[in-house]
Amino acid sequence: MEDRAKKVQILVVEDEDNIAIALDYLLTREGYDQTRLATGAGAVDLIRDTKPDLVLLDVMLPEVSGYEICQTVRADPDCAAVRILMMTARGSAMERRKGLAMGADGFISKPFELKELREEVRKILAGESAQTSDSTDA
Amino acid sequence: MLEKLGLRIRILLFFALLAVGAIISVAVASWLVLSRADGGGDLLAPMVQAGILAGFLILFLVTGIWYLFDMNVARAIDGLANAIRTRAHADVQDDLGRDRDRARYLGDLAPAAAEIARSLAQTRSALAESVARETSRLSGEKARLEKLLADVPVAVLLCTADYQLAFYNGQAVTILEAGDAPGLDRNLLDYLREGPVRHAYERLAKLNDPEAASDLICATTSSGRLLSGRMRVLRRTEHTQRPGFVLTLRDVTADLAAHAAREALLAEVFDRVRRPAANLQTVIGVISEDSEMAQAADLTAAMLSEVQGLTTAITELGQRYDAGRNDWRPLTQIRSPDLMDGVRAQFESLGLDLQTDGPELMLTCDGFELALLLRWLGHRLAQAGHARSFRLVLSEEDGPGAVLDLVWQGPSLPVGVFDSWLTEPLDPDTPDLTARAVLNAHATEAWTETRGDNGGAVRLPIPNARRATTRPAPIQREVVYDFELLSKARNAGVLESKLEDLTYVVFDTETTGLTPSSDEIVQIAAVRVVNGRRVKREVFDTLVDPARAIPPSSTAVHGITDDMVKGAPSMTEAGKRFHDFARGAVLVAHNAPFDMEFLRRHEKSMGVRFDHPVLDTVLLSAVVYGQLEQHSLDALTARLGITIPEEARHTAIGDTVATADAFLKLMPMLKSRGLLTFGDVLGEVRRHGRLLKDLN
Repeated sequence: MEDRAKKVQILVVEDEDNIAIALDYLLTREGYDQTRLATGAGAVDLIRDTKPDLVLLDVMLPEVSGYEICQTVRADPDCAAVRILMMTARGSAMERRKGLAMGADGFISKPFELKELREEVRKILAGESAQTSDSTDA
Repeated sequence: MLEKLGLRIRILLFFALLAVGAIISVAVASWLVLSRADGGGDLLAPMVQAGILAGFLILFLVTGIWYLFDMNVARAIDGLANAIRTRAHADVQDDLGRDRDRARYLGDLAPAAAEIARSLAQTRSALAESVARETSRLSGEKARLEKLLADVPVAVLLCTADYQLAFYNGQAVTILEAGDAPGLDRNLLDYLREGPVRHAYERLAKLNDPEAASDLICATTSSGRLLSGRMRVLRRTEHTQRPGFVLTLRDVTADLAAHAAREALLAEVFDRVRRPAANLQTVIGVISEDSEMAQAADLTAAMLSEVQGLTTAITELGQRYDAGRNDWRPLTQIRSPDLMDGVRAQFESLGLDLQTDGPELMLTCDGFELALLLRWLGHRLAQAGHARSFRLVLSEEDGPGAVLDLVWQGPSLPVGVFDSWLTEPLDPDTPDLTARAVLNAHATEAWTETRGDNGGAVRLPIPNARRATTRPAPIQREVVYDFELLSKARNAGVLESKLEDLTYVVFDTETTGLTPSSDEIVQIAAVRVVNGRRVKREVFDTLVDPARAIPPSSTAVHGITDDMVKGAPSMTEAGKRFHDFARGAVLVAHNAPFDMEFLRRHEKSMGVRFDHPVLDTVLLSAVVYGQLEQHSLDALTARLGITIPEEARHTAIGDTVATADAFLKLMPMLKSRGLLTFGDVLGEVRRHGRLLKDLN
């Protein structure tokens, strides 16, 4: 019960400040607990430590790319429950394919409609809770 | 046996026989006289004397006559025969002068022989002149062709079916890295790796279609340098013989460098503009939803709409740029085994081992760039200690694509490291050609995967691939040339132009009926005649939608039905295209006024004028054969020995080709009547204009 009452934790890994601020407003307004990381460097460690429910992960990051973070997190069985939604400014079909091959749960192209982002986040989080309840039942 | 003897000997024998016969006759007569006369003993001595005298006289007379006959007939005939034979086989030009005198007693034989000799000499000299003219024209064309081939920036090689070199140009020497020269009759496979060349040849040779061509990439044997090539087989001369082929080769490294620089710039432009535009849209979107902004709702709405316009524009332009890349530099169809062979050559040159596997597919890609990319990747992986032995596996996907996996046993490669490698140039000579640029050009991505406990792979999807078929697409790119055009005064007025100097468009139409004022055209066909020859590749042939039903009676003639013209261009469109085709030419048709009236009726809607000079083969036939002959196309072609295949008769293109061939045969006949220029012909045609309305 406690887990369910707890606010959903979202980690935004985004190097561009302006969109990060906008996402902060948006996600907070939606009732999520949001943390932001401006570089890819410490992202994997932070994810391992905090195990957020969802990572909004930009592809083009300084130092460590979104793809690399995604691949590393997915290779770690402790982080299996962490959902990853990748964001990119190009968003071709092949980039989406690469993101999903790296283990992302979703892929969204910029510019996105706010409605589109909200739905994608809700969808992925719903998938996570379903998975959690399944494992709890088991 | 006698036939083997010479004429003079036979005549000599004839006279000798005559003399012997006469002497025997005298002897027999003398013996008869002596045997019947009384007291023959007294007569014996005088008879013997008379006989001997007669014998000598006969001998003298026969010898004398033989001598005269021998001198004036036998020798003269021999001499004449020798002289004729000499003129037949050797290039002697005089008119039998000495032999003619000697043969003065042979009646008309000598003058007749002299006439034959003279006519032979004239024919010979005309023939020699035309051979010399043709030879000089051909050697001129040969020289120009040689120059052209020497200057074309691709290597051109002509080989026999056994891959022996029969021709090559200067570029081939450089590109094949053959030192001084590849050397005629050397084997092409000494310079190029065998697989792709042999595959392409076998496929094309099996098709026996001279229009078919095959693109390939192949590597040189000496350094594994990659070349992009196109092969076309030559027309087969005999059925038993395997055809030779022409191979053009290009080293595309320099093109790639220039292209990659431009690509990189454009990609950067889109990337740098797309990001802030996308971010701005999100920021303003969040602001506009804020309740505190409600009072300035119109302002935020305005901002949002503007920024949305900007992002939509830049995103759409970027997508168009991505989609258009392939069109700007069309990716060719490469057989996967050729690509694999090229990559293997590259790995071998680096001392790396590569096994290849997968179905035979046609990949839409720049094989050269992909092979470079894989070579670079192999080199990079070996350098970083991942492996020295690799497998390249091609697999088909459910959609239209395929996937290439470069697999190795050894530590896998993190995607981050791989991504950072992608910005490196593939070759120090082409700094802008990075692995990323190659992926972008193919609208694809690449990533790393872990395979098992100790294995890695790089996965590279190819968006467009299909099963290889045996039939390569025909590429209609025959060289069309007539170097005579270079040496002509093309600006002469039409009237003063020689007939053979003008360009003609011979055409024919099929119609819904025979009334030009109310019926419509359903097909137009035309061919071009340049410098007195029909240019086989320059053909205009289109069906036309008459925008009305075609009566069955007309369909019965030309076989064109309503269904066939459905979707065909309208008269306005087809007429405009035909006008373009005929620009600057003299129009020629059989019964031209009929066809011209159909065309001219639509001039207004087409927005063009058919004011070309016009020739009518009906009138030309009348000029050549007189007005009493028949001048239908069938009659004219039959007279000129031109056969129209039955299936082509009454098709626009069949009749057009027949008219053009008839026109070409009429042209020298007009010239032999002293009608050398277009003006001359026009003047003469006007005299026959009573037959038909003159159009000029």
